[in-house]
Order: sequence, then structure tokens, then C-alpha cells
Amino acid sequence: MHKDRILKLAKGFRGRAKNCIRIARERVEKALQYSYRDRRNKKRDMRSLWIQRINAGTRQHGVNYGNFMHGLMKENIQLNRKVLSELSMHEPYSFKALVDISRNAFPGNKNVVLPPKKEGISIVL
Amino acid sequence: MASQAASSFNGNVKKALAGLRRINLDGLRWRVFDAKDQVLGRLASQISTVIQGKDKPTYAPNRDDGDMCIVLNAKDISVTGRKLTNKFYRWHTGYVGHLKERSLKDQMAKDPTEVIRKAVLRMLPRNKLRDDRDRKLRIFADSEHPFGDRPLEPYIMPPRRVRELRPRARRAMIRAQKKEELQKQTANETVKGKRRVVKEEVKA
Repeated sequence: MHKDRILKLAKGFRGRAKNCIRIARERVEKALQYSYRDRRNKKRDMRSLWIQRINAGTRQHGVNYGNFMHGLMKENIQLNRKVLSELSMHEPYSFKALVDISRNAFPGNKNVVLPPKKEGISIVL
Repeated sequence: MASQAASSFNGNVKKALAGLRRINLDGLRWRVFDAKDQVLGRLASQISTVIQGKDKPTYAPNRDDGDMCIVLNAKDISVTGRKLTNKFYRWHTGYVGHLKERSLKDQMAKDPTEVIRKAVLRMLPRNKLRDDRDRKLRIFADSEHPFGDRPLEPYIMPPRRVRELRPRARRAMIRAQKKEELQKQTANETVKGKRRVVKEEVKA
């Protein structure tokens, strides 16, 4: 029966939504809509997470994500972000080699300027 | 964990060690930030990235993996512009018409650690991990802290590109420098005058 199938999908819901068919039907419909949308969102979120991880890994070696990717594109290295993030987590030496390749291909811009004197609290206190 | 090495720390030892048991400390580093002559917001931004664990390639948004952050010399933090007098911390008590405010100067006089804590807390994402991350942040007004027996690592701020002074600010700075030189010269002259008088008296 249709009701049993809906209640089966409603397992783990809060309150009456897991027991009473009228409420469960609404919640299950919403849940299925969310899952449809999120199957597409998951791909975006995972890519964003890979990029954050790659960024963290390259910044440990002094290069930021943008320059790193630019260098890799220049050298025509076609590793995707998923693989790069796995490398940055589990294969540090290989990742460092990649960072060096990218740095040779595209050196980033770094300006080091000493900061001028700023207003300090010690003047007030 | 605080042995006699911590007895030089005169301050609230209980408050500094509060809640340490709740944090799962294996594999976390203890980073030390020196806030002396750092700009408030820029320092807070770096602290917030370290506290979230975003500088590690094993970052995961659903678990809290940031390092413990210790901030020293909180009373020596600096701000640009007129923020000392013009930056206000505002909060509403819930009663009608009771919007309270306090300026940066008063807050520093009252409790300098709150300034950095507010700055960092407001830079963290507002989710369920925010309170746990707050527990990892320890701020001290001077350079004494009771964590001397832990493996501490100093954090080096990344190099900064500072823009050159605007014309009006540059003229103000030149005026202030000239004023200082004048004052020094007048002080030297009076001192020299006194010395000459004393020498003549001794000779005579």
C-alpha cells in the first residue's frame, strides 16, 4: 500500500511525522524534494571542500590556491581537485613536488613592506 | 596540569584552565600569538582561520579540528584611525530603550581580553561549533601564561602590504615629528644651560 511505503520513508522523523500518515506524507514529500536538490548541491559542496583543502595545503608551502592552479594549468597537469585534495591530505611529499612545479611555472607576487607606526593603546593607558 | 612553573602567572589560573578537559587535545598544536603592535582586525582574522582549522589540509566543516590559540599582550593591540575613541561596542539588554554602549578606550581599561575575544568570535561562522572554538581560544593581557609546560609554537604573521600614508595623514605625521624634535631641542637647551651654570660654580 502507498501508506506503508510513505511511513517506511518517514523513519527517523521528529514527532508525529513518523507515525501519522497525514503529517508524514507532507514531510516525506519535502524530504524527497530536498534530496533531489541536494544530489545536485552535493557536487558543488564537495568541490568547494576540495578547494579549501588544497588551499590549506598549498598555503603551508607559501603558495595560494589561485597561483597554484594557474601554474598547474600552465604546465598542462590535468589532475582534478578531488585528486589534488587527497594528495594534499595523505601524500605530503608528492604534493610538495606539485607545489614546486607550479611555483616554477608561475612565480607569485610577494611584496614585503614593513608596517608604519600606528596609534597604540599604551599612549592612552 | 599547571605545576609550579605556572606560579609566576598572577591572574585567574582557574579561568585560564577552564574547560580544558572538554577539548580533545591529542594532535592539536598550541599556537602562540603575540598581539603587540598588531592591528586588531587583521590579527583576529588570522586567529579565526587557525581556530577553525582552515590551515590544515584535513579540514572538515562538520568537526572542530582547530589548534589551541594563546594570545599574549592583549593590552598592546593597536587600531588605526580614530577607533580608540569612536569605535563603540553596543548591546541591548532587552528592556525598552536600554541600548548600552561602551567605547574601545573604556573596554580596554575594563578588560582588554574582551576586545580580541569579541573580534575573533564575530569572525567565526555562526554554527554549533562556535562555542567549542571559543573554548580553544585563550587570551592574556600581558605576556604571562600558565601553559609554559606545553609544547608551544609561535605564530609568525604573514607579511603585509601596507598602503602609503594619505596626504593629510602624512602631513599630520610630519607635524608631530617636528613637534617632537622641537621639544627635544628645548629640553636639551635647558639641560645644557643648567650644566654650564653648575660647572662655572665648581670652577670658581
